[in-house]
Amino acid sequence: MDTGQTFTVAALGSQFLVGLSRAMILFIVSSGMSFVLGVLRVPNVAHGSLYMIGAFAAFSISTLFGGGATGFWLALILAPLVVALVSLIAERSLFCYLYEREHLMLLLFTFALMLILGDLVKMVWGADYRSIMAPELLRGSVNIFDSPFPRYNLFLLIIGPLVGIGLWLFSNKTKVGKIARAAAVDREMVGAIGINVSWVFAFAFVLGCFLAGLGGALVSPTISVTIGMDHDIVIEAFLIVTIGGLGNMWGALVGSLIFGLTQSFGVLFWPQFAIVFPYIAVVIVLTWRPRGMLKSVW
Amino acid sequence: MFRDIFNLKSVGPLVVIFIILLVLPPIIPRFYTYILAVIFVTALLAMSCNMVVGHGGLFQFHHGAFYGVGAYTVALMLTKTSLPLWTGFIAGPIIAALTGLLIGAFCVRLTRLYFGMLQISLGSLIWAIAFRWYSLTGGDDGIHGIPMPPIISSQNSAYYFTLIIMVICLIILYLIFKSPFGATLQAIRDNPERCEAIGINVKRHQLIAIVIATFFAGIAGVLFVVVESSVFPDLLFWVYSLEIFIMCLLGGWFTFAGPILGAAIMISLRTFVGIYTEYWTLILGVVLILLIFFLPEGVWGFIIEKFGRQTKEAVEGGSK
Amino acid sequence: MLRVEEIHKSFDDFKAVNGANLTVEKGGLVAVIGPNGSGKTTLFNLITGQLKPDQGKVVFKDEDISKLPPYKICSRGIARSFQIANIFPRLTVFRNVQVSVLSQQGKSRKLFYPAGKLAVEETNSILESVGLSDKAGNTAGSLAHGDQRALEIAIALGNEPELLILDEPTAGMSPEETTATMELIKRLADSRGLTILFCEHDMEVVFNVAQSIMVMHQGLTVIQDKPDEVKNSSRVQECYLGGAEPC
Repeated sequence: MDTGQTFTVAALGSQFLVGLSRAMILFIVSSGMSFVLGVLRVPNVAHGSLYMIGAFAAFSISTLFGGGATGFWLALILAPLVVALVSLIAERSLFCYLYEREHLMLLLFTFALMLILGDLVKMVWGADYRSIMAPELLRGSVNIFDSPFPRYNLFLLIIGPLVGIGLWLFSNKTKVGKIARAAAVDREMVGAIGINVSWVFAFAFVLGCFLAGLGGALVSPTISVTIGMDHDIVIEAFLIVTIGGLGNMWGALVGSLIFGLTQSFGVLFWPQFAIVFPYIAVVIVLTWRPRGMLKSVW
Repeated sequence: MFRDIFNLKSVGPLVVIFIILLVLPPIIPRFYTYILAVIFVTALLAMSCNMVVGHGGLFQFHHGAFYGVGAYTVALMLTKTSLPLWTGFIAGPIIAALTGLLIGAFCVRLTRLYFGMLQISLGSLIWAIAFRWYSLTGGDDGIHGIPMPPIISSQNSAYYFTLIIMVICLIILYLIFKSPFGATLQAIRDNPERCEAIGINVKRHQLIAIVIATFFAGIAGVLFVVVESSVFPDLLFWVYSLEIFIMCLLGGWFTFAGPILGAAIMISLRTFVGIYTEYWTLILGVVLILLIFFLPEGVWGFIIEKFGRQTKEAVEGGSK
Repeated sequence: MLRVEEIHKSFDDFKAVNGANLTVEKGGLVAVIGPNGSGKTTLFNLITGQLKPDQGKVVFKDEDISKLPPYKICSRGIARSFQIANIFPRLTVFRNVQVSVLSQQGKSRKLFYPAGKLAVEETNSILESVGLSDKAGNTAGSLAHGDQRALEIAIALGNEPELLILDEPTAGMSPEETTATMELIKRLADSRGLTILFCEHDMEVVFNVAQSIMVMHQGLTVIQDKPDEVKNSSRVQECYLGGAEPC
């Protein structure tokens, strides 16, 4: 499978950076899923749909403001909030009544939500391909390792760690975050000390979905936004949190790095089957450590 | 032994239904014959899935992978090799069961959600291969116009073929459901730790169940090719697998016959709602939410609960 | 028949069992007592393989079984019940016991024979001996608490064990139910020739039933001896009978 590319250090290095920036998007999305998993103990199948809504909302908002730099930055801030609102409505109107029920039912509900949101997106935005321009500042590329590297990817490399630090500060330094973390470990205890567990769950769910929306908004300038983009991301996020250790924030980071890097090096070595490599990595990790790389909160 | 399981009273109505299905094709429009055949295939698939999901309590999240493997095996053997046609029909289920053995052996080491996740990952691996290996599988286009042996190439003969194979498979699945193996499997679903403590090798039992279930999924895959004359990678995609999972729940996953009903409802919804609107998954989503809130035991489970204590005993196995 | 030698088990930093010793002779009726949290259940889980010991040995009929998985330990002839009713809630009472009998007879994997025709007599006789015959057709999950406990024992009996281990068989029972259960245990030991090992946190209950009593405290074996000796032992007085306060 010769790609016509020689595997120079430069090529490897730039591919490494590509993988790293991909991993940042994956981290933002999967940390949201991990958060929901940790607190609610349910894999949110609709996570990808919310990511997709984030991307479409970013498109609409940036178009609304003329498609310029202002539009882009506003989209980046507002689109995740739109997603959070959608998830809050779904949570308070239906999902919150299921917390006492059998666990599988929660999972099925999120699947139903995925089906519904998928079609709603089709109704609102149609089946066309959309694209968003990044602002002038982030367009074009810089030379790293003697090869062009998109500026937008550099931007992602900065945003990713910022989100990570923000999440860490939030869950360790704020009261709400501490309660949510405690609920992840021992929900009876949290209920016993008089905190309304239902609202803790709602909060965790909405925060997780917010991160999905943020991921969607961030990814929108790099891909063509279209329906169906939810299916791939949700499975990737699933696998990332599984190999990272369910509900573990740092696990989501480790898993994202594994996923992003195997994918980008896969493109280098065997483009046709690049999508196979991350799956193989997952199989290897789970065979070696059945419960994921880091300690699961379960 | 058959007399013990199939008493006349419960078999009677089933025989009537079978005879009706036999005489239908010449009477009803061709389109309906086709839809019925699709329902048979899907029903068998859902039944095989439910054997591990509803009766075995395993999170079989990627059952479609084995269905797809069966379908692809027969499709590839019919189009790419010059082996006798029927070998493909036999190879399909066997390859599917071997895949089930391999993937199952990895998965049974884990429990519940981790089991499901690993299975999705391994199944997606198969999907990715079928999706990308253009020279062999035709990639995302799939393989179309697969030549069938003349005896089952017409629509009606394909209908009868699927019907008869499905009925045979369902009888075998029912025997397994009623056997000590099935009883033990249901005990494992209810309480795996306790089963270990009464001397049952739980992992081995689950693995055997997976192999049997994937074998029948492979048969369903072969029947799919008989009905559709084509294969495509969507069969292996995880979204479809979750749909199968839902068929089991929709029909009633603790019952035996529920998944048939689930498959029939699902196919009918897709077909007939699809005529009026392109948003059929929206409708499916709403139906699913209604199901979660109002019929958590599934449609068939609800019917049994509501109308027949006696049927319930027939389903769950009388005590004495 | 069963010998536990200097066994240890800790969870993270907590030493649940910290040097326990136990001997059970064939045909004996042995009780393990100790306050809540003294490590009785952990000890039983170590014996029947639900947990693996950090140190020490469990010897059953001259074989070290401490490394075997639970299903193999069961096939060696040890069956157990659990403290929390650990039954198959969606199956009928009959099926609950039958599954266990089928496992004992090695018929669990029979594929093409109606389960309804197998092991019927054995199952019915077990149900009779624990007094559940009339409820055989009920769904196990719908039984009252006391009946679930009886079913719990019945499932264990299905394995035709040589050694039956019962984890607090009277947990959550009224005084009358407790007496009845103790009588049932005694009767089982006599009529079926079983060796029985059980645990209990209430000391009074076991004195007139058990032939030998092992006292556990903070994961440690304090003493194992005949009931009267145990009663008179100063060390037991000190740490268990000595007063309401744990020492």
